[in-house]
Amino acid sequence: MRLSQVSFRYSRRGPWILRDVELMLRPGSVIEVTGRNGAGKSTLLRLLAGIIPPSRGTVTDRPRVVGYAPDVFPVDQPFTVTDYLTHMTRVRRASPTAADELAVRLNATHLMDQPVGDLSKGSAQKVGLIQSLLAPPGLLILDEPFAGLDEQTRIELPVIIGEIAAGGGTVVVSDHQNQLQNFPGADHWLVAAGAVTAQTGERPRQAVIEVLVDAAEADEVEQKLRADGYTTRRAS
Amino acid sequence: MTALVRFKLAAYARSHRLFQPLIGLFAMLAVFYSSAVPPGSELSSYADSAGLLVVVFAWAARGLLDTEPATQRLISMTAAGRPGREVCAGLLAALAVNLGMATIAIVLPLGIGFAAVPSPGDLAQGIALHLLGLIAGTALGTLTSRPILPSPAVSMLVLFGGYLALLLISLTPVGRFTVPIMPWMRAANDGALGEALPTLAAATLFWSVAGVAAYVRLRRTRP
Repeated sequence: MRLSQVSFRYSRRGPWILRDVELMLRPGSVIEVTGRNGAGKSTLLRLLAGIIPPSRGTVTDRPRVVGYAPDVFPVDQPFTVTDYLTHMTRVRRASPTAADELAVRLNATHLMDQPVGDLSKGSAQKVGLIQSLLAPPGLLILDEPFAGLDEQTRIELPVIIGEIAAGGGTVVVSDHQNQLQNFPGADHWLVAAGAVTAQTGERPRQAVIEVLVDAAEADEVEQKLRADGYTTRRAS
Repeated sequence: MTALVRFKLAAYARSHRLFQPLIGLFAMLAVFYSSAVPPGSELSSYADSAGLLVVVFAWAARGLLDTEPATQRLISMTAAGRPGREVCAGLLAALAVNLGMATIAIVLPLGIGFAAVPSPGDLAQGIALHLLGLIAGTALGTLTSRPILPSPAVSMLVLFGGYLALLLISLTPVGRFTVPIMPWMRAANDGALGEALPTLAAATLFWSVAGVAAYVRLRRTRP
Protein backbone atom coordinates (compact mmCIF):
# COMPACT_ATOMS: atom_id res chain seq x y z
CA MET A 1 0.00 0.00 0.00
CA ARG A 2 1.29 3.44 -0.92
CA LEU A 3 0.49 7.08 -0.17
CA SER A 4 1.72 9.48 -2.89
CA GLN A 5 1.79 13.25 -2.39
CA VAL A 6 -1.07 12.96 0.09
CA SER A 7 -2.32 16.23 1.61
CA PHE A 8 -5.39 16.63 3.76
CA ARG A 9 -7.52 19.41 5.18
CA TYR A 10 -11.06 19.17 6.52
CA SER A 11 -12.47 22.12 4.56
CA ARG A 12 -11.46 24.10 1.51
CA ARG A 13 -10.27 27.05 3.58
CA GLY A 14 -9.11 25.10 6.60
CA PRO A 15 -5.47 24.59 7.55
CA TRP A 16 -3.54 21.68 6.08
CA ILE A 17 -3.37 18.85 8.61
CA LEU A 18 -0.97 16.79 6.48
CA ARG A 19 1.09 17.96 3.49
CA ASP A 20 2.73 15.97 0.69
CA VAL A 21 2.99 12.76 2.66
CA GLU A 22 4.87 9.95 0.88
CA LEU A 23 4.61 6.60 2.60
CA MET A 24 5.06 2.98 1.70
CA LEU A 25 3.45 0.24 3.76
CA ARG A 26 4.93 -3.18 3.12
CA PRO A 27 2.83 -6.31 3.72
CA GLY A 28 3.88 -7.90 7.00
CA SER A 29 5.17 -4.68 8.53
CA VAL A 30 4.30 -3.24 11.91
CA ILE A 31 4.36 0.55 12.16
CA GLU A 32 4.29 2.59 15.32
CA VAL A 33 3.03 6.15 14.84
CA THR A 34 4.03 8.78 17.39
CA GLY A 35 3.62 12.52 17.61
CA ARG A 36 2.37 15.08 20.08
CA ASN A 37 -1.34 15.66 20.70
CA GLY A 38 -3.06 17.30 17.74
CA ALA A 39 -0.18 16.58 15.35
CA GLY A 40 -2.51 14.73 12.96
CA LYS A 41 -2.00 11.10 14.02
CA SER A 42 -5.71 10.27 14.06
CA THR A 43 -6.23 12.02 10.72
CA LEU A 44 -3.38 9.99 9.23
CA LEU A 45 -4.92 6.77 10.59
CA ARG A 46 -8.33 7.69 9.09
CA LEU A 47 -6.71 8.37 5.72
CA LEU A 48 -4.97 5.01 5.89
CA ALA A 49 -8.22 3.27 6.87
CA GLY A 50 -10.01 4.88 3.92
CA ILE A 51 -12.52 6.65 6.16
CA ILE A 52 -11.64 10.02 4.61
CA PRO A 53 -10.23 10.60 1.11
CA PRO A 54 -7.06 12.70 0.69
CA SER A 55 -7.70 16.31 -0.39
CA ARG A 56 -4.79 15.89 -2.80
CA GLY A 57 -2.68 12.91 -3.79
CA THR A 58 -3.54 9.24 -3.94
CA VAL A 59 -3.69 6.17 -1.75
CA THR A 60 -3.18 2.98 -3.75
CA ASP A 61 -3.31 -0.77 -3.08
CA ARG A 62 -5.17 -0.57 0.23
CA PRO A 63 -5.90 -4.15 1.40
CA ARG A 64 -9.55 -5.16 1.04
CA VAL A 65 -10.17 -5.98 4.71
CA VAL A 66 -9.38 -3.10 7.07
CA GLY A 67 -9.71 -3.40 10.83
CA TYR A 68 -10.00 -0.15 12.76
CA ALA A 69 -10.07 0.28 16.54
CA PRO A 70 -10.69 3.89 17.62
CA ASP A 71 -8.87 5.51 20.53
CA VAL A 72 -12.11 5.71 22.52
CA PHE A 73 -14.70 3.02 21.84
CA PRO A 74 -18.22 4.56 21.56
CA VAL A 75 -20.14 3.07 24.51
CA ASP A 76 -23.30 5.11 23.90
CA GLN A 77 -25.04 2.24 22.07
CA PRO A 78 -28.14 0.27 23.11
CA PHE A 79 -26.66 -3.22 22.77
CA THR A 80 -25.07 -5.89 24.92
CA VAL A 81 -21.49 -6.74 23.92
CA THR A 82 -22.69 -10.00 22.34
CA ASP A 83 -25.44 -8.28 20.33
CA TYR A 84 -23.03 -5.58 19.18
CA LEU A 85 -20.37 -8.06 18.10
CA THR A 86 -22.99 -10.26 16.38
CA HIS A 87 -24.08 -7.25 14.31
CA MET A 88 -20.47 -6.37 13.45
CA THR A 89 -19.74 -10.02 12.55
CA ARG A 90 -22.65 -9.95 10.07
CA VAL A 91 -21.57 -6.60 8.62
CA ARG A 92 -18.09 -8.05 8.06
CA ARG A 93 -19.41 -11.46 6.99
CA ALA A 94 -16.90 -12.94 9.43
CA SER A 95 -16.98 -16.37 11.03
CA PRO A 96 -19.75 -16.57 13.70
CA THR A 97 -17.27 -17.99 16.23
CA ALA A 98 -14.63 -15.27 15.68
CA ALA A 99 -15.96 -12.94 18.39
CA ASP A 100 -15.98 -15.63 21.09
CA GLU A 101 -12.49 -16.82 20.18
CA LEU A 102 -11.13 -13.27 20.35
CA ALA A 103 -12.96 -12.65 23.63
CA VAL A 104 -11.09 -15.60 25.17
CA ARG A 105 -7.74 -14.28 23.95
CA LEU A 106 -8.38 -10.72 25.12
CA ASN A 107 -9.75 -11.82 28.51
CA ALA A 108 -13.21 -10.44 27.74
CA THR A 109 -15.56 -13.45 28.09
CA HIS A 110 -17.04 -12.04 31.31
CA LEU A 111 -18.07 -8.88 29.43
CA MET A 112 -20.19 -10.56 26.77
CA ASP A 113 -23.58 -10.24 28.51
CA GLN A 114 -23.00 -6.69 29.73
CA PRO A 115 -24.61 -3.66 28.08
CA VAL A 116 -21.99 -1.75 26.08
CA GLY A 117 -22.99 1.38 28.01
CA ASP A 118 -21.89 -0.15 31.34
CA LEU A 119 -18.32 -0.97 30.25
CA SER A 120 -15.28 0.62 31.85
CA LYS A 121 -12.72 2.33 29.59
CA GLY A 122 -10.44 -0.70 29.41
CA SER A 123 -13.32 -3.13 28.82
CA ALA A 124 -14.75 -0.92 26.08
CA GLN A 125 -11.27 -0.81 24.53
CA LYS A 126 -11.33 -4.61 24.35
CA VAL A 127 -14.67 -4.61 22.48
CA GLY A 128 -13.16 -2.09 20.05
CA LEU A 129 -10.18 -4.39 19.51
CA ILE A 130 -12.35 -7.50 19.07
CA GLN A 131 -14.52 -5.88 16.38
CA SER A 132 -11.39 -4.76 14.48
CA LEU A 133 -10.10 -8.34 14.41
CA LEU A 134 -13.36 -10.18 13.51
CA ALA A 135 -12.25 -10.73 9.90
CA PRO A 136 -8.48 -11.30 9.55
CA PRO A 137 -7.40 -7.79 8.48
CA GLY A 138 -5.04 -7.05 5.59
CA LEU A 139 -4.58 -3.66 7.24
CA LEU A 140 -5.12 -3.26 10.97
CA ILE A 141 -5.26 0.26 12.39
CA LEU A 142 -5.16 0.68 16.15
CA ASP A 143 -5.50 4.17 17.63
CA GLU A 144 -3.96 4.18 21.13
CA PRO A 145 -4.92 0.53 21.76
CA PHE A 146 -3.05 0.11 25.04
CA ALA A 147 -4.86 2.84 26.97
CA GLY A 148 -6.67 1.33 29.96
CA LEU A 149 -5.92 -2.31 29.09
CA ASP A 150 -5.23 -4.84 31.85
CA GLU A 151 -1.84 -6.54 32.13
CA GLN A 152 -2.86 -9.81 30.43
CA THR A 153 -4.29 -8.04 27.38
CA ARG A 154 -1.28 -5.70 27.24
CA ILE A 155 0.88 -8.78 26.80
CA GLU A 156 -1.50 -10.56 24.42
CA LEU A 157 -2.04 -7.66 22.03
CA PRO A 158 1.56 -7.52 20.71
CA VAL A 159 1.30 -11.29 20.12
CA ILE A 160 -1.86 -10.77 18.02
CA ILE A 161 -0.16 -7.90 16.16
CA GLY A 162 2.80 -10.19 15.45
CA GLU A 163 0.47 -12.92 14.12
CA ILE A 164 -1.26 -10.56 11.72
CA ALA A 165 2.09 -9.26 10.45
CA ALA A 166 3.37 -12.83 10.07
CA GLY A 167 0.30 -13.59 7.94
CA GLY A 168 1.19 -10.75 5.55
CA GLY A 169 -1.03 -8.09 7.12
CA THR A 170 0.10 -4.53 7.80
CA VAL A 171 -0.42 -3.16 11.30
CA VAL A 172 -0.37 0.56 12.10
CA VAL A 173 -0.47 1.50 15.77
CA SER A 174 -0.61 4.97 17.19
CA ASP A 175 0.93 4.64 20.58
CA HIS A 176 1.61 7.27 23.20
CA GLN A 177 2.87 4.82 25.74
CA ASN A 178 5.55 3.25 23.54
CA GLN A 179 4.26 -0.23 24.31
CA LEU A 180 5.66 -1.41 21.00
CA GLN A 181 9.08 0.15 21.63
CA ASN A 182 10.75 -3.22 21.76
CA PHE A 183 8.59 -4.87 19.12
CA PRO A 184 11.04 -6.63 16.80
CA GLY A 185 11.36 -5.02 13.38
CA ALA A 186 8.72 -2.34 13.89
CA ASP A 187 8.94 0.76 11.70
CA HIS A 188 8.44 4.13 13.33
CA TRP A 189 6.65 7.15 11.95
CA LEU A 190 6.80 10.54 13.57
CA VAL A 191 3.94 12.91 12.75
CA ALA A 192 4.87 16.57 13.24
CA ALA A 193 4.08 19.89 11.52
CA GLY A 194 1.99 18.24 8.80
CA ALA A 195 4.79 15.87 7.80
CA VAL A 196 5.35 12.18 8.49
CA THR A 197 8.95 11.10 8.98
CA ALA A 198 9.53 7.38 8.55
CA GLN A 199 12.37 5.58 10.24
CA THR A 200 12.44 2.21 8.57
CA GLY A 201 14.29 -0.87 9.69
CA GLU A 202 16.69 1.01 11.97
CA ARG A 203 15.82 -1.15 14.90
CA PRO A 204 17.39 -4.62 14.60
CA ARG A 205 15.44 -7.67 15.65
CA GLN A 206 15.88 -8.40 19.33
CA ALA A 207 15.61 -11.57 21.36
CA VAL A 208 15.45 -12.29 25.10
CA ILE A 209 17.73 -14.96 26.58
CA GLU A 210 17.69 -16.03 30.19
CA VAL A 211 21.06 -16.64 31.85
CA LEU A 212 21.08 -18.50 35.17
CA VAL A 213 24.03 -17.63 37.47
CA ASP A 214 24.92 -18.03 41.15
CA ALA A 215 23.49 -15.17 43.15
CA ALA A 216 26.99 -14.31 44.35
CA GLU A 217 28.24 -13.87 40.77
CA ALA A 218 25.21 -11.94 39.56
CA ASP A 219 26.76 -8.48 39.92
CA GLU A 220 29.94 -9.51 38.15
CA VAL A 221 28.14 -11.17 35.20
CA GLU A 222 25.77 -8.24 34.83
CA GLN A 223 28.67 -5.78 34.72
CA LYS A 224 30.43 -7.87 32.07
CA LEU A 225 27.29 -8.05 29.89
CA ARG A 226 26.67 -4.32 30.24
CA ALA A 227 30.28 -3.60 29.37
CA ASP A 228 29.68 -5.56 26.14
CA GLY A 229 26.68 -3.29 25.38
CA TYR A 230 23.80 -5.63 26.28
CA THR A 231 20.68 -4.59 28.16
CA THR A 232 20.22 -6.68 31.30
CA ARG A 233 17.30 -7.13 33.65
CA ARG A 234 17.27 -8.93 37.01
CA ALA A 235 14.41 -11.45 37.23
CA SER A 236 14.58 -11.87 41.02
CA MET B 1 -25.02 -3.59 3.32
CA THR B 2 -28.23 -5.29 4.51
CA ALA B 3 -26.48 -6.22 7.75
CA LEU B 4 -25.47 -2.60 8.32
CA VAL B 5 -29.03 -1.38 7.59
CA ARG B 6 -30.30 -3.90 10.15
CA PHE B 7 -27.69 -2.74 12.69
CA LYS B 8 -28.82 0.87 12.28
CA LEU B 9 -32.50 -0.02 12.50
CA ALA B 10 -31.86 -2.14 15.61
CA ALA B 11 -29.96 0.71 17.29
CA TYR B 12 -32.73 3.15 16.40
CA ALA B 13 -35.50 0.86 17.61
CA ARG B 14 -33.73 0.16 20.91
CA SER B 15 -33.03 3.82 21.58
CA HIS B 16 -36.01 5.97 22.48
CA ARG B 17 -35.57 8.25 19.49
CA LEU B 18 -38.22 6.43 17.45
CA PHE B 19 -40.92 7.65 19.84
CA GLN B 20 -40.38 11.33 19.04
CA PRO B 21 -41.47 11.29 15.38
CA LEU B 22 -43.99 8.51 16.14
CA ILE B 23 -45.72 10.74 18.69
CA GLY B 24 -45.59 13.58 16.15
CA LEU B 25 -47.12 11.28 13.53
CA PHE B 26 -50.01 10.14 15.74
CA ALA B 27 -50.66 13.67 17.01
CA MET B 28 -50.91 14.95 13.44
CA LEU B 29 -53.11 12.03 12.33
CA ALA B 30 -55.37 12.63 15.34
CA VAL B 31 -55.79 16.26 14.25
CA PHE B 32 -56.34 15.37 10.56
CA TYR B 33 -58.98 12.76 11.27
CA SER B 34 -60.63 14.14 14.42
CA SER B 35 -63.85 14.46 12.42
CA ALA B 36 -64.79 11.94 9.75
CA VAL B 37 -63.73 12.85 6.20
CA PRO B 38 -66.86 12.97 3.97
CA PRO B 39 -66.95 10.67 0.92
CA GLY B 40 -65.11 12.19 -2.04
CA SER B 41 -62.66 14.26 0.05
CA GLU B 42 -60.25 11.41 0.82
CA LEU B 43 -57.60 12.47 -1.70
CA SER B 44 -57.61 16.03 -0.39
CA SER B 45 -57.01 14.65 3.14
CA TYR B 46 -54.24 12.38 1.91
CA ALA B 47 -52.59 15.35 0.14
CA ASP B 48 -52.65 17.44 3.34
CA SER B 49 -51.35 14.49 5.35
CA ALA B 50 -48.48 13.83 2.91
CA GLY B 51 -47.51 17.51 2.80
CA LEU B 52 -47.64 18.15 6.53
CA LEU B 53 -45.92 14.90 7.48
CA VAL B 54 -42.79 15.93 5.51
CA VAL B 55 -41.48 17.49 8.73
CA VAL B 56 -42.15 14.27 10.69
CA PHE B 57 -40.35 12.21 8.03
CA ALA B 58 -37.42 14.64 8.23
CA TRP B 59 -37.37 14.36 12.01
CA ALA B 60 -37.37 10.56 11.86
CA ALA B 61 -34.55 10.48 9.28
CA ARG B 62 -32.44 12.89 11.32
CA GLY B 63 -33.07 10.88 14.50
CA LEU B 64 -32.08 7.63 12.84
CA LEU B 65 -28.86 9.05 11.40
CA ASP B 66 -27.94 10.66 14.73
CA THR B 67 -28.51 7.48 16.77
CA GLU B 68 -25.09 6.08 15.90
CA PRO B 69 -22.20 7.75 17.77
CA ALA B 70 -19.68 9.49 15.49
CA THR B 71 -16.91 6.99 16.23
CA GLN B 72 -19.22 4.05 15.55
CA ARG B 73 -19.80 5.47 12.08
CA LEU B 74 -16.02 5.24 11.48
CA ILE B 75 -16.05 1.62 12.68
CA SER B 76 -19.06 0.84 10.46
CA MET B 77 -17.30 2.41 7.47
CA THR B 78 -14.28 0.14 7.83
CA ALA B 79 -16.45 -2.88 8.67
CA ALA B 80 -18.58 -2.32 5.56
CA GLY B 81 -15.44 -2.02 3.41
CA ARG B 82 -16.09 1.49 2.06
CA PRO B 83 -17.39 4.75 3.60
CA GLY B 84 -20.00 5.03 0.85
CA ARG B 85 -21.68 1.86 2.06
CA GLU B 86 -22.16 3.31 5.54
CA VAL B 87 -23.71 6.47 4.08
CA CYS B 88 -25.94 4.40 1.79
CA ALA B 89 -27.00 2.08 4.63
CA GLY B 90 -28.01 5.14 6.67
CA LEU B 91 -30.15 6.43 3.81
CA LEU B 92 -31.81 3.05 3.28
CA ALA B 93 -32.53 2.67 7.01
CA ALA B 94 -34.06 6.18 7.12
CA LEU B 95 -36.20 5.38 4.09
CA ALA B 96 -37.32 2.11 5.70
CA VAL B 97 -38.42 3.88 8.90
CA ASN B 98 -40.28 6.51 6.89
CA LEU B 99 -41.93 3.87 4.71
CA GLY B 100 -43.31 2.37 7.92
CA MET B 101 -44.58 5.76 9.10
CA ALA B 102 -46.12 6.55 5.69
CA THR B 103 -47.87 3.16 5.76
CA ILE B 104 -49.45 4.09 9.10
CA ALA B 105 -50.52 7.46 7.65
CA ILE B 106 -52.18 5.73 4.68
CA VAL B 107 -53.78 2.77 6.47
CA LEU B 108 -54.99 4.45 9.67
CA PRO B 109 -57.60 6.77 8.02
CA LEU B 110 -59.02 3.78 6.10
CA GLY B 111 -60.08 2.41 9.47
CA ILE B 112 -60.96 5.46 11.56
CA GLY B 113 -60.82 8.63 9.42
CA PHE B 114 -62.69 8.15 6.17
CA ALA B 115 -66.49 7.83 6.10
CA ALA B 116 -66.17 5.73 2.91
CA VAL B 117 -63.36 3.71 1.34
CA PRO B 118 -61.63 5.88 -1.34
CA SER B 119 -61.58 4.77 -4.98
CA PRO B 120 -58.52 2.76 -6.06
CA GLY B 121 -57.35 5.76 -8.12
CA ASP B 122 -57.52 8.12 -5.14
CA LEU B 123 -55.80 5.55 -2.94
CA ALA B 124 -52.98 5.17 -5.49
CA GLN B 125 -52.53 8.94 -5.73
CA GLY B 126 -52.57 9.21 -1.93
CA ILE B 127 -49.83 6.57 -1.74
CA ALA B 128 -47.83 8.41 -4.45
CA LEU B 129 -48.06 11.69 -2.52
CA HIS B 130 -46.91 10.03 0.71
CA LEU B 131 -43.97 8.52 -1.16
CA LEU B 132 -43.05 12.00 -2.43
CA GLY B 133 -43.45 13.39 1.10
CA LEU B 134 -41.24 10.75 2.67
CA ILE B 135 -38.55 11.17 0.03
CA ALA B 136 -38.49 14.97 0.48
CA GLY B 137 -38.59 14.58 4.28
CA THR B 138 -35.76 12.04 4.26
CA ALA B 139 -33.63 14.40 2.15
CA LEU B 140 -34.27 17.29 4.57
CA GLY B 141 -33.49 15.00 7.51
CA THR B 142 -30.13 13.90 6.06
CA LEU B 143 -29.06 17.51 5.55
CA THR B 144 -29.81 18.32 9.21
CA SER B 145 -28.08 15.21 10.64
CA ARG B 146 -25.11 15.59 12.96
CA PRO B 147 -22.20 15.10 10.52
CA ILE B 148 -23.57 18.03 8.49
CA LEU B 149 -24.88 20.25 11.32
CA PRO B 150 -23.11 19.29 14.56
CA SER B 151 -25.05 21.71 16.80
CA PRO B 152 -28.44 20.23 17.85
CA ALA B 153 -29.94 23.72 18.21
CA VAL B 154 -28.91 24.80 14.71
CA SER B 155 -29.98 21.45 13.30
CA MET B 156 -33.51 21.65 14.78
CA LEU B 157 -33.82 25.25 13.60
CA VAL B 158 -32.79 24.31 10.05
CA LEU B 159 -35.11 21.28 10.07
CA PHE B 160 -38.26 23.13 11.18
CA GLY B 161 -37.26 26.44 9.57
CA GLY B 162 -36.34 24.66 6.35
CA TYR B 163 -39.71 22.91 6.28
CA LEU B 164 -41.60 26.17 6.90
CA ALA B 165 -39.54 27.88 4.20
CA LEU B 166 -40.44 25.05 1.78
CA LEU B 167 -44.12 25.50 2.61
CA LEU B 168 -44.03 29.28 2.22
CA ILE B 169 -41.99 29.27 -0.99
CA SER B 170 -44.32 26.68 -2.47
CA LEU B 171 -47.17 29.20 -1.95
CA THR B 172 -45.48 31.72 -4.28
CA PRO B 173 -45.53 31.56 -8.10
CA VAL B 174 -42.09 29.88 -8.12
CA GLY B 175 -43.58 27.15 -5.89
CA ARG B 176 -43.88 24.68 -8.74
CA PHE B 177 -40.12 24.76 -9.20
CA THR B 178 -39.29 24.03 -5.54
CA VAL B 179 -40.68 21.11 -3.54
CA PRO B 180 -44.33 21.82 -4.48
CA ILE B 181 -46.05 20.89 -1.21
CA MET B 182 -48.76 23.60 -1.35
CA PRO B 183 -49.40 23.05 -5.09
CA TRP B 184 -50.06 19.33 -4.51
CA MET B 185 -52.47 20.12 -1.66
CA ARG B 186 -54.30 22.63 -3.88
CA ALA B 187 -54.37 20.34 -6.90
CA ALA B 188 -55.88 17.56 -4.77
CA ASN B 189 -58.44 19.98 -3.36
CA ASP B 190 -59.40 21.18 -6.88
CA GLY B 191 -59.63 17.62 -8.18
CA ALA B 192 -56.80 18.34 -10.64
CA LEU B 193 -54.09 16.15 -9.10
CA GLY B 194 -54.23 13.52 -11.86
CA GLU B 195 -52.76 15.71 -14.60
CA ALA B 196 -50.51 17.74 -12.25
CA LEU B 197 -48.92 14.74 -10.52
CA PRO B 198 -46.10 14.04 -13.05
CA THR B 199 -44.83 17.65 -12.85
CA LEU B 200 -45.20 17.77 -9.06
CA ALA B 201 -43.41 14.43 -8.71
CA ALA B 202 -40.58 15.49 -11.04
CA ALA B 203 -39.95 18.73 -9.09
CA THR B 204 -40.08 16.92 -5.71
CA LEU B 205 -37.77 14.15 -6.87
CA PHE B 206 -35.34 16.64 -8.43
CA TRP B 207 -34.91 18.60 -5.19
CA SER B 208 -34.83 15.49 -3.03
CA VAL B 209 -32.13 13.88 -5.16
CA ALA B 210 -30.18 17.17 -5.14
CA GLY B 211 -30.44 17.30 -1.33
CA VAL B 212 -29.31 13.71 -0.90
CA ALA B 213 -26.47 14.21 -3.40
CA ALA B 214 -25.28 17.24 -1.41
CA TYR B 215 -25.46 15.14 1.77
CA VAL B 216 -23.44 12.29 0.21
CA ARG B 217 -20.86 14.77 -1.11
CA LEU B 218 -20.48 16.52 2.26
CA ARG B 219 -20.12 13.20 4.07
CA ARG B 220 -16.90 12.50 2.14
CA THR B 221 -14.96 14.84 4.41
CA ARG B 222 -17.39 14.57 7.35
CA PRO B 223 -17.29 10.91 8.33
